[in-house]
Amino acid sequence: MRNLHPAISFSYFAFVILITVVFMHPVTLCISLISALLYAIYLNGIKSLRLTLLVLVPMMLLAAIINPLFNHLGNTVLITVGSLQITLESTLYGLSTAGMLAAVILWFSCYNKIMTSDKFTYLFGKIIPSVSLIISMTLRFIPRYLSQMKKITYAQQAIGRDLNSGHLIDRIRSGGDILSIMVTWALENGVDTADSMRSRGYGLKGRSSYSLYKLDSRDKLLAAFSLYLAIMVIVGIALRLISISYFPWITLNPFSIPALLIYLAFLLLCLFPLLLDGFEELKWRSSRSRI
Amino acid sequence: MDASTKTRLPLKTIVAIIVIVLCIPLILGLGVLLPGEGGIYAISAIVIVLVMLPFMLAFEGRRPQARELVLITVMIALAVAGRAAFFMVPQFKPMVALVIIAGVALGAESGFVTGSLSAFISNFIFGQGPWTPWQMFALGLIGFLAGLIFSKGRLPVKRLPLCLFGGLSALLIYGLFMDTSSVLLMTNLLSGQSAVAIYLAGLPFNAVHAVATVLFLAFLAPFMIEKLERVRSKYGLLGNQ
Repeated sequence: MRNLHPAISFSYFAFVILITVVFMHPVTLCISLISALLYAIYLNGIKSLRLTLLVLVPMMLLAAIINPLFNHLGNTVLITVGSLQITLESTLYGLSTAGMLAAVILWFSCYNKIMTSDKFTYLFGKIIPSVSLIISMTLRFIPRYLSQMKKITYAQQAIGRDLNSGHLIDRIRSGGDILSIMVTWALENGVDTADSMRSRGYGLKGRSSYSLYKLDSRDKLLAAFSLYLAIMVIVGIALRLISISYFPWITLNPFSIPALLIYLAFLLLCLFPLLLDGFEELKWRSSRSRI
Repeated sequence: MDASTKTRLPLKTIVAIIVIVLCIPLILGLGVLLPGEGGIYAISAIVIVLVMLPFMLAFEGRRPQARELVLITVMIALAVAGRAAFFMVPQFKPMVALVIIAGVALGAESGFVTGSLSAFISNFIFGQGPWTPWQMFALGLIGFLAGLIFSKGRLPVKRLPLCLFGGLSALLIYGLFMDTSSVLLMTNLLSGQSAVAIYLAGLPFNAVHAVATVLFLAFLAPFMIEKLERVRSKYGLLGNQ
């Protein structure tokens, strides 16, 4: 997935996330959630998953609680507390929303790992060149500012304005001085950068940009395959072969062979990155052991 | 310096902007026709992106000069670095303050670009998510309004009005947009009651954010605006025509 052409990975994530958000079918949500979870574990490891869960679990709980509490659509009343009616439909709807949230956030954590900023600027550099340039320059400026900040701090220390000693007021004052020096430097340095860009012909006609990515035949094959799966899913939803409605009562599509095929297509689509990466890893391992 | 002459937008850009604006009701109509429940979040996110596109295209269409680009970049980098510096303290973020300063000093259009791109780029570090378009639009709008309100001398660029605007925009614009995004994402339905519940739950966070913005503006605004003015007059950038 990492070596795939950025256009393909971007459209892949866009499609899977969109289907997950729009189509709150229990089967597709489960497929999406489990695949996203597996792929996130594969990409980021268990440890960072714990961090994600720290944000995720409260959000899911809130979604699971807020829906039945404030949404009284649905015909099957479970409990009546005073004037508050909690319905089965909105409870299940709340659970689905919680699952949808989890899946979306996990997919985004995979997206963040795969679609790095350089791929984004490559992809949109032609359509929005100035904005892409700003993005890549900003990402260069930040580490530069941090190292300059260190230099300024040391220089200030050398003339006796230490951040770590003296009165609190003195410290705050020297912190403010460092910030002020930093901002002046950043602005002047920015103008220098701009002049240097101008003198190298920025904005003139006929300038090209370097790009690392090429759409090769492997990319095309994989794109065609995943596009085929995606179209199958869309057609299935459009023809109501798989459908879900929560209110006023829950109606699910009946089980049928075409529905099963569409679930399978969606499963394959969601597991696509994991299968691809797993296959590549296997190939790499087997070729390595032969040497 | 030719950086100060505003070039007119090319026809291609104007056509693109009109098409995008016409697409918005189409998407909303599609949302109503969509089968079953759900989908409101996706529709709203798409509409927000469509609303932002004309701003970006207008910015691209007039082919900004290198110096203008770099000044915006410096402000964005400072905002992103500021968010990173305070990431341990929840909601205590200097982003809104820096975006307002950029809007005041560089004008409404640059303010929008600074705001929306600060949100977008800082999410490369903190993670993109379903909240990204909302964050981008809220911050962009704040920068844009700051430019509109302060740059033509409608309000004096002084500490008190700046802080007032900053606090209100963190509380009402940023807070309201982010809470609306949570409501739509968590319920995926249009429901007034759950919206009120989430707005109330978000109020303390938004209040902290507003206080942080006021403090940062009180501390940063006077000297940063002065510095930006100095650089502008020293190098003759972005004239006040």
